[in-house]
Amino acid sequence: MRIVVGIKWVPNTQAVRFDPETGTLIRKGVPSIVNPHDLPAVEAALRLREKTGGEVIAISMAPPPAVKGLELVLGMGVDRAILVTDRAFAGADTWATSYVLSHAIRKIAAEIGEVDLAIFGHETIDSSTSHVQAQVASWLDWPYLYYVKRVEPVGGKLLRVWRELEDYEEEYEVETPAVLSIAIKAFKPRPVSLSSKLRAKLEKRVLTWTNADLKLDPRCVGLKGSPTIVAKTIDMPEVPRKKEVYRPKDGKDAARWIIAKMVHDEKLREVLKGLVGGEL
Amino acid sequence: MKVECDKLCPEWPCEQPEEFKDVWVVVEAEEGRLNEASLQMLTPGRTIADKLKESLVGVLIGHGVSQLAEDVIKYGADRVIVVDDERLSTYYPRVFGNVVVELARKYKPSVILAAGTRRGREFAPYIANALKAGITADCTDFDVDETTRDVLLIRPPFAAILLAYIKTPFRRPQIGTARPNVFPVPRRDEGKKGEVIFEKANVREEQKVRLISRERLERAKSGVEKASVIVSGGRGIGGPEGMKLLAKLAELLGGTLGASRKAVDAGWADHEMQVGQTGKSVKPILYLAVGISGSAQHMLGVREAQRIIAVNIDPEAPIFAQADYSVVGDYREVVPALIEELEKIKKGGRKALEELLESYT
Ligand SMILES: Cc1cc2nc3c(=O)[nH]c(=O)nc-3n(C[C@H](O)[C@H](O)[C@H](O)COP(=O)(O)OP(=O)(O)OC[C@H]3O[C@@H](n4cnc5c(N)ncnc54)[C@H](O)[C@@H]3O)c2cc1C
Ligand SMILES: Nc1ncnc2c1ncn2[C@@H]1O[C@H](COP(=O)(O)O)[C@@H](O)[C@H]1O
Repeated sequence: MRIVVGIKWVPNTQAVRFDPETGTLIRKGVPSIVNPHDLPAVEAALRLREKTGGEVIAISMAPPPAVKGLELVLGMGVDRAILVTDRAFAGADTWATSYVLSHAIRKIAAEIGEVDLAIFGHETIDSSTSHVQAQVASWLDWPYLYYVKRVEPVGGKLLRVWRELEDYEEEYEVETPAVLSIAIKAFKPRPVSLSSKLRAKLEKRVLTWTNADLKLDPRCVGLKGSPTIVAKTIDMPEVPRKKEVYRPKDGKDAARWIIAKMVHDEKLREVLKGLVGGEL
Repeated sequence: MKVECDKLCPEWPCEQPEEFKDVWVVVEAEEGRLNEASLQMLTPGRTIADKLKESLVGVLIGHGVSQLAEDVIKYGADRVIVVDDERLSTYYPRVFGNVVVELARKYKPSVILAAGTRRGREFAPYIANALKAGITADCTDFDVDETTRDVLLIRPPFAAILLAYIKTPFRRPQIGTARPNVFPVPRRDEGKKGEVIFEKANVREEQKVRLISRERLERAKSGVEKASVIVSGGRGIGGPEGMKLLAKLAELLGGTLGASRKAVDAGWADHEMQVGQTGKSVKPILYLAVGISGSAQHMLGVREAQRIIAVNIDPEAPIFAQADYSVVGDYREVVPALIEELEKIKKGGRKALEELLESYT
């Protein structure tokens, strides 16, 4: 099987801090990482390859520094990696991103060999939309399943796929080529072998494709090719709260203060009424 | 605004926004019941439709769903388009999505909303792409630009500290989803009348995917979405033992347990219990946050809580500026004492309470 895995290079949102003085996000110096939810997708692809043979190709549409992320997954055992990068792709929404990625997958199929499966994470930590994979599936007209927890090859072009909805677990038979999106933490990513990561770096095993290779209409990519635009951003409006803070002498003092507040707060009084089973 | 066709991506059909009208809500149904998260989308749908002075239309697709159409009207739709077809008895994203696409090509709605359920996250972007339209996920609010009549799809990007106003000025329909429980289910109006339109669709059967089995998950529903009291534990709880203590407090208050993502990631709580941007949105009377720092992502899930009480050991904890009543202290002292005092009140009733109140007015 030839499996393509989509990974996104994202700012480590956990490291983004809020500057209360200026009321803005401090993004400067925030390091980027491979979207953590994509590593289980890489793992799922590697396990499938171990069962069926073939190869795993990671792709990412991102600015050049994302090469580091692709080297990381090469270190996990991915066979090759393709960085799809061009100034023209900047500012893309999920529509324009999926457009470029689906054309990259077509190019892989045309030049490297038939693609059987495209695997994605369930969402990214910076935009968390879960759109890109569904949109890629739509472009390619391949079947798509979201929130997959297990995949097994059954032979030929068939896969067994288990996925989870809010109230159901479902088992499917899926004919490839197909698109799957892996549930949160469904596969534990294997550690990166530093020597293979280094080898990947030295051998420059990350291919770069620009729009000179993909030849997409500039009106369909990047900001121009994005149907959605951000009209403006505002600070999240604050919810009005009482903000009373108490420094108690000890636990008992704290407990009594909390209960007193509850009694004197009309809303919370209801909660206490439930406790005593009647009027207060 | 006049769309200049030669400037658009040639993949996009060149259409003018004024060709499109009405606000659609795609309503999921399962086993003869309407999906609650889908019904919730009728709430913002109504607001948008009223601002645009257009109709709110429910779209109901499946097998044996016809009898649910009147319910969708009672929850606020002016019209319901029904496709009831045996070939839709099993849901497949492409099949379901293509029916919506076919209807949308015929009726040209200006807006399509769907709930961000797992299925919604699967079919909504599929529909958007097939229609070559923009889509915005996880909206927390919607508005309408009075001059251009563009819908503003409002969502927190990135770190939940900002709100982005997103619009799709050159493409219709404007598609958006919201996570379950961000909006309330509209009040049911038994007297509401509306029109039901039965449509036939060219259902394209799914050749490549076959559902083999499905099993109802008997997972303990955390119930945080509906709880009126939630006691939530964070990283500061330090381990599963701490969660047990919180469970005791929750039970005493007639509530349920919640958790921050760090507590879930640590394995002390189930993902179903996670509150916040990537977890559940909750609206209890009381949200008691214990050992939770108050990150923007967590607090996004509790904006609708009527009161927040926080217990945190760090006097600088950001949650203190976002709660109603906070105590600075070690939860290992505060929570057992709180349980003890509440038990006293439970046993002693009013008298025990009065005694306590004497020293705290
Ligand atoms: C895209 C994205 C989405 C996210 N979505 C969510 C989400 O849905 N929900 C969510 O919760 N998080 C979410 N997060 C994570 C979020 O940014 C925070 O990391 C997380 O909420 C912190 O959890 P916490 O408050 O439990 O832990 P911490 O921030 O580590 O805080 C622990 C607190 O416990 C206190 N403490 C320690 N010991 C004690 C003690 N003995 N007694 C009392 N207090 C004590 C400490 O003072 C501290 O304030 C998301 C992050 C990103 C980037
Ligand atoms: N720029 C990108 N390059 C490659 N894969 C991507 C990119 N953006 C998103 N993806 C994939 O699509 C999934 C969903 O992304 P999102 O729609 O941003 O939540 C991610 O988990 C990735 O697997």
